Amino acid sequence: MPCIRLLHTLARRLRAGARCVAAGLLLSVAGPALADEPGVVQINQAAVVASAAPAFPTNASLQTVRLPDEWADSRPQADGPVWYRLQFTLPATDASTLMAAYIDRVCNNAEVWLNGSIVFSGGRMGEPVTRNCYYPQLVTLPPALLNPQGNVLDIKVQGYALQHVASRQRAGGLSTVRIGPHAVLAAQHARQTFWNISLVQVISAMLVLLGIVMLGMGWQDRRNPYLGYFGLLAIGWAALSARLWWRQPPFDNATGEFLTCVGFGVLVGLAIQFLVRYAGLRSRKLEIGLLLQCVLVPATLALAGADRLYTMTSGWYLLLSAEVMAAVTLYLRVTWRKGLDGRAEFWPMAFMLMGVGVLVLVDLATQHQLVTLLPVHVLHFSMPLMFLAVGARQIQIFGRALQLAEASRNSLESRINEVTAEIERNFSQMAELRVEQVTEKERKRIAADLHDDLGAKLLTIVHTSESERISSLAREALEEMRLSVRGLTGKPMQVADALADWRAETVSRLSQANIEADWRSPTEDVNQQLSARAFVQTTRILREAVSNIIKHSGASHCKVRCSIGEHDFVLVVQDNGKGIPMELDGKLDRGHGMASMKHRAKQMQGQCLVESGPGYGTVIRLTLPL
Amino acid sequence: MNKILLLEDLPEIRAWVKALVLQVFPQAQISEAARVHDALALISAERFEVALVDLGLPDGSGVDVVAALRESQPEAQSVVVTIHDDDDHLFPALQAGAFGYLLKEQPREHFVEQLQRISQGEPPLTPSIARRVIAYFAAQNKPQERPQNLPHVSLTDRENEVLLWVAKGFTLPEIGTQLNLSRHTIADYVKQIYRKLNVSSRAEAALEAQRLGLFRR
Repeated sequence: MPCIRLLHTLARRLRAGARCVAAGLLLSVAGPALADEPGVVQINQAAVVASAAPAFPTNASLQTVRLPDEWADSRPQADGPVWYRLQFTLPATDASTLMAAYIDRVCNNAEVWLNGSIVFSGGRMGEPVTRNCYYPQLVTLPPALLNPQGNVLDIKVQGYALQHVASRQRAGGLSTVRIGPHAVLAAQHARQTFWNISLVQVISAMLVLLGIVMLGMGWQDRRNPYLGYFGLLAIGWAALSARLWWRQPPFDNATGEFLTCVGFGVLVGLAIQFLVRYAGLRSRKLEIGLLLQCVLVPATLALAGADRLYTMTSGWYLLLSAEVMAAVTLYLRVTWRKGLDGRAEFWPMAFMLMGVGVLVLVDLATQHQLVTLLPVHVLHFSMPLMFLAVGARQIQIFGRALQLAEASRNSLESRINEVTAEIERNFSQMAELRVEQVTEKERKRIAADLHDDLGAKLLTIVHTSESERISSLAREALEEMRLSVRGLTGKPMQVADALADWRAETVSRLSQANIEADWRSPTEDVNQQLSARAFVQTTRILREAVSNIIKHSGASHCKVRCSIGEHDFVLVVQDNGKGIPMELDGKLDRGHGMASMKHRAKQMQGQCLVESGPGYGTVIRLTLPL
Repeated sequence: MNKILLLEDLPEIRAWVKALVLQVFPQAQISEAARVHDALALISAERFEVALVDLGLPDGSGVDVVAALRESQPEAQSVVVTIHDDDDHLFPALQAGAFGYLLKEQPREHFVEQLQRISQGEPPLTPSIARRVIAYFAAQNKPQERPQNLPHVSLTDRENEVLLWVAKGFTLPEIGTQLNLSRHTIADYVKQIYRKLNVSSRAEAALEAQRLGLFRR
């Protein structure tokens, strides 16, 4: 027993604390409602009798209760209807002011009589009773029925005992009643209706939309099944919120409460699945367990029977809340462990889920009578707001992923284009290289064949022919062949190297023939290149010129000058021989190879000029482009 | 009496060369071969003072014969007798240890004169060969391109100078005049250049072979 007393003390303390919190919340949410409006009286007590009589049973024994009267406290285990009689005197106001009575909460429904005449009905008083628990009521008091003093307001309340409902908020009861100018109370009524009903409806509509969007996203992105769970959760919550504003459901109270509780079982299953899948986990056992739970909730409720609905649902709510909290903890733990990426996700989610935790705790406290009913049902709109926030976050993540995917697709595409271009480039380069290699190989093969076959034969002629003329022709042919092969296979060479080769050959040949050679060519700053063909042709021309000098000129001195310009080079070969005889002038080529020298020069877009006079020697001026 | 190896696949040319060789070395005892295989067999059996080696042969390259002779009989003088006058063909033969080269189509008197010069220790050197030698030693002297344990063979300043003059197209007599040196001194430089080219190339080849794991004792 001391245990229970301790629990009660604790409960009282908690209630006191919660009242402070509630007062704070009220101040912020419905602040002006508490302030005493001028001309408003608040009725805090009433005579009460439980009776289904059509009018206030005046002959029954009356009890006096303080308002608000929560049936769970004052008449546990009894359903309605209950008659209340309130007496009031009109506050001093202008006689022409329309007066009204404002009832903050009457659950489930009420009818109001003023001085014996009915002035208000909230809807059906029999099953299915109109569900007005969340609707504040404004009763216009017709001036004709009002007395200046001694007015009697009879309120017939139809409601249910706590044990027959799933939530304390829907247990029978009547709040304080305020009498005052219609305009003042209407504003209060509108405010309360907004917080209790309109806001929930608006948010529910948004949740449905969000849910549909999420389901669509989940459908598009099958790898993230948590989106689907979240969509279902949002829609489910919106559907379950209908209990707040749907006044005339086509089923009786017991069915409605039963469905609500079953709905919560499903919602919690979805919420847990969302959190677990969002954390990147999956458990078959958990899924089966949650499915079983969805079946188990209605089964236990049915077994417990209508009279133990509240006890059963309270137990379930506790268990479901614990499950959600466990899932939240699991989710936060996994997210935290993901490191930096997870941390960014952790704090906003932690903040929101903590909020959820506090709200659920407050709700649980309310259900267990640790806290008096709050005039505004914070959970009903803050929970959806949290859903909206999480949903917005999901959409943001989805959007980012979409952007990222788009960006990576673009970069991939450009990379593919680059690589393709590179492959094509490489391929054409390889093809070129291949062609070059094949050409080079073929040239080398031809060169080798020429040397081995033609060269060997010419050589044999050179060394076996009886005729000096034939052997010298064969030798010339061999040299020609060698130069041709070189033109075929050779690489471009430096002009300086070419000059060195020409010099060595020319000087060597001339000195062997006892002709004094005087070669001058620029040795420095010669960086131009000469194609193999140009080198070979020039070598032939020069060789021919030197041969002419050795064979025909009878010269003792030969001067070679070479100058290199920007785009061409000039080679001047001058001897002091007897010159080319007059009679040969017309046909210089005979035996002197002049025509072939000129022809070769022309082939290279150059020219070969021969100046000669008897006794004056010969000057050969060769100009070739570089 | 000179023992001479003559490797040439064309019978007419072989006869022609043999006749000229006999002009230069009247007492010569000439062993003839038409194939690389036969020449290698002769080298392992006899000792030669001079070998005249053709490059393009039916069963391989005369360069192998030059290398084999340099390996087994270092004192023998290999002279390449070829139809190829380009350094792409001649340079490997010189690296393998050839001591000069003769072009086959030369008139007989030129051929004889050249052979005489070579046998007297005056090998020819063309500008293009000189450029190849310069490039070769330039690469050898780049420390980053030279393997660590390669024996360092370098040319003296004079040898380099001679090479540079040749590369510029000056004839050996001209260079002698220019540097105020006798014909024999210039010839000695050229011989030295050939020898160093061979020594360095052989060391390089051995190292390369070792690197490739060909030397497994």
